[in-house]
Amino acid sequence: MKFSKSTLVGAVSAIALAGIAGNVQAAYPEEPISYVIPFNPGGESDITARFQEPILEEILGVSVNVSHRPGGGGAVAWSEFQNNAEPDGYELIGVNIPHIIGQPIQRSDAGFETDNWEIITFFHSTPNALIVPANSPFNTLEDLVEYARENPQAVTLGGSGTYSANHLDMLRLEREADIDLTYIPFSGTGPLPAALEGNHVAGIFNYTMLGVQMEDRVKVLAVASEERVPALPDAPTFKEQGYDIVGGAYRGVAAPAGTPQEIITVLEDAFAEANRRITAKQEPLGFVMEYITGDQVDEVITQLREAYAPILEATE
Amino acid sequence: MEMLLEALASLMTFESIITVLVGVSAGLLIGSLPGLTATMALAVLLPFTFSMEPLQGLIALGAVYMGSIYGGAFTAILINTPGTPSSIATTFDGYPMARQGRAYEALAGATIASVIGGLVGVAFLLLLAPPLARWAVAFGPSEMFWVAMLGLTLVASLSSGSLLKGMIGGCIGMLLSTVGVSPVGGETRFTFGFPAMQGGIELIVALIGLFVIPELLNMAAEGRSNISESGEFGKTKVGIRQVARHILGKPVNLIRSCLIGQVIAIIPGAGGNVTSLVAYNEARRFSKDPQSFGKGNIDGVVASESSNNVMVAGSMIPLLTLGIPGAPPDAIILGVLLMHGLRPGLDLFTESGVLTNGFILSMGMAALMLLPVGLLGARLIHKVVIKTPYHFMVPAIAMVTILGTFALRNSLLDVGIMMIMGIAGYFLRLIGIHAAPIVLGLILGGIAEQGYVQTMLAAVVDPIPWLRLVSNPLSKVLAALVVLGAATAMLPAWLERSGRLDKGSPNRGDDS
Amino acid sequence: MILRLNTDMAAGGFGLVFAAVLWLGGTDIGRLSILFPRAILVILVAFSLLLFVKGFFRPGGRSIEIPGSPQRLVILILLLLVWWFAIGKLGFVVSSFLVMLFITWFLARVEGPVSWKRLLLWTPIIAVMVGGFYSIFTQVLNVRLPSGLLF
Repeated sequence: MKFSKSTLVGAVSAIALAGIAGNVQAAYPEEPISYVIPFNPGGESDITARFQEPILEEILGVSVNVSHRPGGGGAVAWSEFQNNAEPDGYELIGVNIPHIIGQPIQRSDAGFETDNWEIITFFHSTPNALIVPANSPFNTLEDLVEYARENPQAVTLGGSGTYSANHLDMLRLEREADIDLTYIPFSGTGPLPAALEGNHVAGIFNYTMLGVQMEDRVKVLAVASEERVPALPDAPTFKEQGYDIVGGAYRGVAAPAGTPQEIITVLEDAFAEANRRITAKQEPLGFVMEYITGDQVDEVITQLREAYAPILEATE
Repeated sequence: MEMLLEALASLMTFESIITVLVGVSAGLLIGSLPGLTATMALAVLLPFTFSMEPLQGLIALGAVYMGSIYGGAFTAILINTPGTPSSIATTFDGYPMARQGRAYEALAGATIASVIGGLVGVAFLLLLAPPLARWAVAFGPSEMFWVAMLGLTLVASLSSGSLLKGMIGGCIGMLLSTVGVSPVGGETRFTFGFPAMQGGIELIVALIGLFVIPELLNMAAEGRSNISESGEFGKTKVGIRQVARHILGKPVNLIRSCLIGQVIAIIPGAGGNVTSLVAYNEARRFSKDPQSFGKGNIDGVVASESSNNVMVAGSMIPLLTLGIPGAPPDAIILGVLLMHGLRPGLDLFTESGVLTNGFILSMGMAALMLLPVGLLGARLIHKVVIKTPYHFMVPAIAMVTILGTFALRNSLLDVGIMMIMGIAGYFLRLIGIHAAPIVLGLILGGIAEQGYVQTMLAAVVDPIPWLRLVSNPLSKVLAALVVLGAATAMLPAWLERSGRLDKGSPNRGDDS
Repeated sequence: MILRLNTDMAAGGFGLVFAAVLWLGGTDIGRLSILFPRAILVILVAFSLLLFVKGFFRPGGRSIEIPGSPQRLVILILLLLVWWFAIGKLGFVVSSFLVMLFITWFLARVEGPVSWKRLLLWTPIIAVMVGGFYSIFTQVLNVRLPSGLLF
């Protein structure tokens, strides 16, 4: 059996492709692959990795070991990875935007750089959403903006973490609408439903998933995506309402800088296939499946860095 | 009701019973290894449930959860190491009992208390979930601040001896909790320029270090095992029936601990570690003989273990009704529910009621299963610990703690932090600063900081910001409780100090 | 061994040193992040000073007792630190095997000299113990333990 590189790229079915890749690239993969999640078990990154794990194993034919290295909002694992991991394709790590953009700008001792690795793919994104309780006086984004204009700082919006995707897009809303809000960071998404239900905050800036999860108890005023999210067909985007805010968290996976391109390609295809197979499970939850690879990765990073950097630098 | 019966029927299959049995055993094993928490047990075993039916998968995870929280008691009693943070308070009396040769009695007590606690939690969840869920959301930032303050009044009773030294320990713990990324400001603090320190000092790392290493050092210095052999089977045998009779003979302690467990379980953010500490403290406060606590009183073990097992099902109340994880391991259960297309809410109890009720009932079954599995396991582990010569014991325990600490975050630095804290803990104990207040500060520091700073942030427009701390009725009540708790805790300590200062000091800290 | 030490002054002194270290490490932090630690630092300093002063007038204890042999205590502390250091260099399996064997031998000497025969008997036991835990953690729990020589 002889296959050229072009047939490889042209192959449509990823299963068949994996089989072919196995023949051509006899060298990779032949050892177990380690897949580090830089967060606690139970989060979105972890759950997604757990779903990818068996599919990746099936496609690649080697075992894929998911392990956790939480700390510092991901920074501990990322700095260790950039310093120590071998570029042989057997060490992978989960990467998240905006964390990898924000932390190096904001901290003097983050220990890693935004670009110092080969990002294989971003496999999904979770757009930000502005959510208020069902009994809130605000029925539209305009209501909230009006009120905030008359009462500076009086509107409190909760979100997950400081300088996170939530926080940064809330700051963008402040700039775009020229209003002054008060952001209250919580540790992760976990405590946010309670803050909303208990009326401890006027609203929250969080991901679309929470809007889906609490559908009958909240109003989603706006979603920060280009188009409406399939799981929330009735929630308008910021763009529709005249604010140019598109953003959220992107989750993906990276290999160390200097990993050979052939290996990256094999992994790209494996993750894409895994993504296709778990779409039916993740899309109804509010995830937006993405297939961002190669140059598109740099585009996304550049675009978001341009959007966030002025905000981050203004806070220094 | 019909749903309940249907759910019960679906549980009474051979497959389900085996699932629960395996789940409880696996959870017990993982939970009893220090460093491997209930959250981790669930995360590790999660992929195995993907191939199962939704109900079967949830049954397995519920059983693992129940087993791992209980498993923490084993090592807490036998080697003074809380296997999971929920068992911190179990060490206070469980370990002294083991040293007196009453290890099996303590283990049996912990088992019975866990079974009862587990069942009570399930009953609460089945009967009172919707009304209790309203409670969970009442706790906002200012309330959480007061909950943390209420927890800090425990310092008074945990400091065994000098109150001032206890407070210093508590402050040190709270400061240690601030190392790393700040929860509200988002900056890194006290990292001294090391990127790896951004991760901060994990509670469990400190816990293992402060509790285990000093015991190992002690054993080495004394040249013998800390655990007495006199309580071996067949000699001074205390039967399981006697232990059960003793525990059931004091229903007030059980009821109080279970209620405390339930109330704290539904407060998001306060997990089993806070639960068991508060229950322990109250058991001691209301006891006729508070002096005997900390020296091997089985009631302390019962209070701690019953309350933390109530939490297993109890913390599911806000989870299943509102999607709010009451304790860290619940976050994983939430993920599983969502992946199976089950959205938390009251629908879960009506539309998919058979599934939900099946899951809840299976936790009850898991609690019952603790009895045979636990007693058998206790017998085995107890024998092994007693028979092993101390020169094997010390390196073996050290290895397990190193492994557990490492596994928590895959961090070798954590192992170093664990050892250094342990060594420091040994010497601090000599000068009267005990591990318990430090750990308490570490647990509550984060909660207090977040509550305080969030409240202050929300109050930027108020003329006097700190009044926000007592603006809600619930926060007023909690603040009053803090003052009351501090007063009742300080008063005896103060009376004792001014009354018989000289007599009080020599026997300080000898037994802890 | 009994050491003469004013425990109140020692504990108060420790609190002050601890506070000083953090105070020096906590420069240049934003308001929201320093608000809470600074409050606790102030409280810690206050309590420590109070205890330190109390130590002059009414000391809680004038001596501390280290039970058993201080020499064994210090050696075990050193062994633990060596173990930690060696895991990073030699990997978990090799370093744990060597250090555990050494600790076992060292602690067993309390009861008298240890014969070569016993040492030979322990070697496989410890090897199995280390190997067993190593395989449980790496295979079942998916924890990647540090590797170095051999593993």
